[in-house]
Amino acid sequence: MSAVQVQAPPRGGGVRALWAGNPQAVIQRGLIAARSSSWVVVLSGFFEPVFYLASMGIGLGSMIGDVETSQGISVSYAAFIAPALLAVAAMNGAIYDSTWNVFFKLNYGKLYEGMLATSLGPLDVALGEILYALLRGLLYATGFMVIMQVLGLNLAWTAVLALPAVLLIAFGFASVGMAVTSYMKTFQHMDWINIVLLPMFLFSATLYPIAIYPEWVQSVIMAFPLWHGVELVRGLTTGILSIDLLWHVAYYLVMIAFGLVFTTRRLRALFLD
Amino acid sequence: MSANDPAAPGAAAATATPTLDELRAEAMEWGRRPRARGTWYVTEHMVRAMRAYGWTIIVGAFGQPVLYLLGLAVGLAALIQQPVDDGGQSVPYLVFVAPALLMTSAISVATEEFTYPVMAGFKWRRYFFGFSASALSSRQIANGVMVGAMARMAVTVVLYFAFIMLFFLWLQPGATTPATAWLMIVIGVLGGLAFGVPLMAYAASIEDDKGQFALVQRFVFMPMFLFSGTFYPLAVLPLWLQWIGWISPLWHAAELGRVVAYGKEVDPAMIAVHIVYLLVLTAVGLVLSWRLFGKRLAK
Repeated sequence: MSAVQVQAPPRGGGVRALWAGNPQAVIQRGLIAARSSSWVVVLSGFFEPVFYLASMGIGLGSMIGDVETSQGISVSYAAFIAPALLAVAAMNGAIYDSTWNVFFKLNYGKLYEGMLATSLGPLDVALGEILYALLRGLLYATGFMVIMQVLGLNLAWTAVLALPAVLLIAFGFASVGMAVTSYMKTFQHMDWINIVLLPMFLFSATLYPIAIYPEWVQSVIMAFPLWHGVELVRGLTTGILSIDLLWHVAYYLVMIAFGLVFTTRRLRALFLD
Repeated sequence: MSANDPAAPGAAAATATPTLDELRAEAMEWGRRPRARGTWYVTEHMVRAMRAYGWTIIVGAFGQPVLYLLGLAVGLAALIQQPVDDGGQSVPYLVFVAPALLMTSAISVATEEFTYPVMAGFKWRRYFFGFSASALSSRQIANGVMVGAMARMAVTVVLYFAFIMLFFLWLQPGATTPATAWLMIVIGVLGGLAFGVPLMAYAASIEDDKGQFALVQRFVFMPMFLFSGTFYPLAVLPLWLQWIGWISPLWHAAELGRVVAYGKEVDPAMIAVHIVYLLVLTAVGLVLSWRLFGKRLAK
């Protein structure tokens, strides 16, 4: 009877059960579906950080003057917040695409059941969906970088590297966001996302340096992902590079890996086991 | 035995065949209370419906003031060490921002309560048509939605006010005039209505959801929040951006809030302008809502 056992597909383990090497099919589906959605709404997301930059940069900038970054250099207030707003835009874009979109597809569209009934595995779906979210993040980030360049807020050539950094940030948030969304069952649960995002936005050295807080508050803030993203992007746009930036990159690499594994396992538990 | 209770409408039907007049009288009798108190019935429905997301409301109403006051007012205040020059008057930054943040909270409740619930009432769950098939008038339905939203705004604003007072007690004792500062609650609700009631009229006019509310959020609420002199006096902005403040209910409400919170010196005529502007926006929005609700429910 051993011949039969060899022919039977291995069940319950191995990468082959999770991965068909075809996440681009999921991305393609997202792009085709995007054609029928409202492009104005998609495009409007770009304006949010621009409005913030204009309001805070002009208004508060005139009251605050120059600000010292964590790297110890003094920059104009607009140049201080612009990289932070870029990181926040990456976070928001990735989170909205990987939570609201995924929530609908999961609970109402029943899209993933269909996808998983094909040769696609849960890792294809997770990675495809997350990479699709990154495209939108890339779009917003590129637009915002152009505006920063025009306003003279990119202080060094290393600002170019902020684009891949933003993708890294978006990747981290999208993969964890999708994993968390798989636990949500009603609209009201989705509100918790804002409850987590708002304090991160307000406290992560976005609008003022983290140094104003007592030590213990600082260490709490440093545990959260957005602070690492803000510091990374700010380091690149102001051109003050240090080896510490690699820690921020490492934080996101761990976050991405964790999110991907988590999402894949959840999709498998929800639809395949 | 309710069937034998002569006071209960419907008792006549059990005893003998009623005449048309009796039936009409009975129907009128049943409808008397809803006709008289219809607004409150709708309000009750709207408030009960909020229980579905009650936790969000509570966490938001507690969390937002704390986060914004700590994050923006305290954090930024540490950066802006010199007091703000508010029209010649020197004001600590926290004291300057707090009234505007309170007004913003009322208006952000308005953007939630006057949009999707209205859309749901007409389109997704269609309960407004159910109300309309009863003795309620379309006007009462619009009024009920408004009062329901007012109730939530009031809860949010009262909490916000309480937190502001605690923060001031902690960080800026003596900076406010408590005798008038509580009026921020009234102004907050008025500000929320001035923005929300016209929005209700707009929501009633939408037949298909194509993301209009997301656009309102991004292109109306967000710029209003950022350019209405919330974080700095409006005069700091260049003139070509100041008009956003002039037409924004948030700016008018925040200016009134600053008058009652710390006695900002304002020309009495300007106070009248602020109040009248907010009232006119609310009134125009309400009249428009009545008409649009009536038209849509009669369809």
